[in-house]
Amino acid sequence: MAVAVESGEKWFRTCDITGFKVDLRAEKIAKVNAVMAVVSLLLAVIAALLLVLTRWQLFHVLPVDWYYRILTLHGLDALVFWIIFFELAALTFTSTAFLNTRMSSPTAGWLGTALAIVGWLLVNYTILTGNADVLMTSYAPLKAHPLFYLGMILFAVGALVIVTVFFSNLMIWRRENPGQSLPLFVYGLMAAAIIAVITIVSGAIIYIPTFLWSLGIISDIDPAVYKLVWWGLGHPSQQINVAAHVSVWYLLAFLTVGGTSINEKVSRFAFILYIIAINVASAHHLLVDPAVSPVWKVWNTSYVMYLAVFASMIHAFAVPSAIEVAQRRRGFTKGLFEWLKAAPWGNPGFSGLMLSMIIFGFIGGITGVVNGMEQTNIIVHNTLSIPGHFKGAVVGGTALAFMSVTYYLIPLLFRKKIAFYGVSKFVPWLFGIGVAILAVSMYILGAFGVPRRHWDITFSGGPFTYTYNPVTDFFWALFGLGGLLAVIGALIWIIQVVVSVFFGSPLKGPQDLQIPIAEPPPPAKEEHTGFAAPGTFTLVLLFITAFIIFVVLNYGWLSAMWEVK
Amino acid sequence: MSEEKKTPFLQLVFDDFILLLFIGVAVYAISYLIWGLMEIAWLPPIPDEVKQALLGR
Amino acid sequence: MAILPPGEGWFHQKVAKDEKIWMGLAFVVSVFLFFWMIIWHVYAKQNPSFVTYKTTPEEFYALTEAFINKYKVGEENGVPVVKPPPGDVFLLARQFRWEPVLILKKGEEYRFHISSLDVLHGFSLQPVNMNFMVYPKYDYVLTFRPTSAGEYAVVCNEFCGIGHHMMIGKIIVEE
Repeated sequence: MAVAVESGEKWFRTCDITGFKVDLRAEKIAKVNAVMAVVSLLLAVIAALLLVLTRWQLFHVLPVDWYYRILTLHGLDALVFWIIFFELAALTFTSTAFLNTRMSSPTAGWLGTALAIVGWLLVNYTILTGNADVLMTSYAPLKAHPLFYLGMILFAVGALVIVTVFFSNLMIWRRENPGQSLPLFVYGLMAAAIIAVITIVSGAIIYIPTFLWSLGIISDIDPAVYKLVWWGLGHPSQQINVAAHVSVWYLLAFLTVGGTSINEKVSRFAFILYIIAINVASAHHLLVDPAVSPVWKVWNTSYVMYLAVFASMIHAFAVPSAIEVAQRRRGFTKGLFEWLKAAPWGNPGFSGLMLSMIIFGFIGGITGVVNGMEQTNIIVHNTLSIPGHFKGAVVGGTALAFMSVTYYLIPLLFRKKIAFYGVSKFVPWLFGIGVAILAVSMYILGAFGVPRRHWDITFSGGPFTYTYNPVTDFFWALFGLGGLLAVIGALIWIIQVVVSVFFGSPLKGPQDLQIPIAEPPPPAKEEHTGFAAPGTFTLVLLFITAFIIFVVLNYGWLSAMWEVK
Repeated sequence: MSEEKKTPFLQLVFDDFILLLFIGVAVYAISYLIWGLMEIAWLPPIPDEVKQALLGR
Repeated sequence: MAILPPGEGWFHQKVAKDEKIWMGLAFVVSVFLFFWMIIWHVYAKQNPSFVTYKTTPEEFYALTEAFINKYKVGEENGVPVVKPPPGDVFLLARQFRWEPVLILKKGEEYRFHISSLDVLHGFSLQPVNMNFMVYPKYDYVLTFRPTSAGEYAVVCNEFCGIGHHMMIGKIIVEE
């Protein structure tokens, strides 16, 4: 393996826990991006608290203009900045340390990071000063201040630079390791990086003309074109997350129980399906919109005949079976679930992994597919069911997975001990259960027709009024409870991270590791015929049953509506 | 000396992330973006019969 | 290992029996869902519309005004009330109101022409909970057949500005 030595200085440190050669320059860049991620999350979480206590009109804390302002801030800091900064850190760190490779261009990495931070500053500033009350989607003809769009453009360019460095790191690795295949974790992040390219390029195609329009240079932005192209940025930005969090699941399965995919070809095939089929599903944001045809809608919203959903279902088996097979090799072979009962539930990396999979699959995934079917979208579009879905998917899925893996990043990347470690095992449960309650209550409120992005569902000031079904009062209370639990869980995590990173005691070696890294399980005893993971097989059957029932229910509810064509 | 085992073509495709990047971008660009933009561009105006019924023109 | 390159010959490793069965099942369900959407389009009664026309705010405003004048039967809280025959019906969205109030008959078919004068709005019919998008410059033609009588609210559920929560219209369906 080639080892570059720059001006006599060593460019790497050798990790005394994993043995990886960690490029010190990449490590610094990753750390800065990780810190920006947590700062963004903090803003998003404070905003979330204010929003929960406003939508729950018993409290209604924010006045009308601040509600939409904070909602804009929350959307961007949560769905864009927290998650993408985290992913940029991951891309930078894994394409060097996990490959024992040097960073192709630290200068480019710093440039990208700087652009992203300037962009983040511009966007947050314009929002907080009331110059971008347009919500995350900024649908034209709604218009924000030019600096808002410029900020988004700079962030996107910065991110693209870092993604490009990721690919060139991979190319260096490929040149120096001909014929080798990438480790699975890096492979999944590679899929995420490809989706990121699509996201960012779409962002450029839409934000640059919109920026010029906000300056008065272009006279007009067609609203249909805007929404179509924007969602080429909007949904793939969330699919980066899916590819990334699935990769993190494989990593966590490895770190917590020593599990690995029982068939590399199958797992990689699923990532390839993501690359090919996942991005077109942005069409599900346009299902009840004029202009685009049902043929375009059905083909695209289906992720190309649900190939990308098929891919997710492959991972739904591959990740738990990785855990099950490792556990069975350790001797936990009794019945269908001894492997699960005996798993290290006290390890926040493991409990977070399991909760993330369950919440993403059962809540985020099932509701997502149904929301995205051309006809059932009629009964959910722009209702509170939509954010209910993505709380399950992005917050319970991606954010929880990222938060759980951070308990390993603090010692491995930041080389610090985790502050208040004793609390860690409660955090995934507190946050996960809070988010699950939040997501489900939002989905149900939406089923009663409650709109999203709406300051007052008593319509005060309007010519008429409408009263939602009184049973919604109960679900608003649940919504508040879930939201509060999730906010508390997130704040505890943020405190742990900030204190550890900035004030924590340094990690001197493997003996200081608080969160355990599992020993690899003993090798398989004999050639195994029959089911490799019967427990997982049972669980996925349960999943697909729930899925089919939910689809049937929704089409049933739809058929009770007025006729429309 | 061990003989060179030929890597299966499909494995080369699996491993070729630049090729995958192109395929990913191309599928999205054609199926979602270009096709969608074309549909928006080719919409007809409101039919004359509808306009005449109301405006009598 | 997820963090190490895969073992030699990973590409040729046989797929476990349960993984294979699961993949087969998942694939069948996936493809079925795709065809289900198509089948629903052909045989069922609730589908988003095929029909959109390009228009301008001026043209659509003129058409809606003419429509209101032709079928107006009164006013409620400042909003004109119209009772059109089955056929073309116009509904205009603007910051922050819906015009006009419509009185329809159960079981009859109405071709709703819906458009906006300014920004995006959201047509959310409650309590049936049917939701569609409303665009300026595009006339979205949705053919509705009300299957139940009563008073219905048209809530705007696409953020359209500071008065978004005041934007609520009405549709009355008579037996």
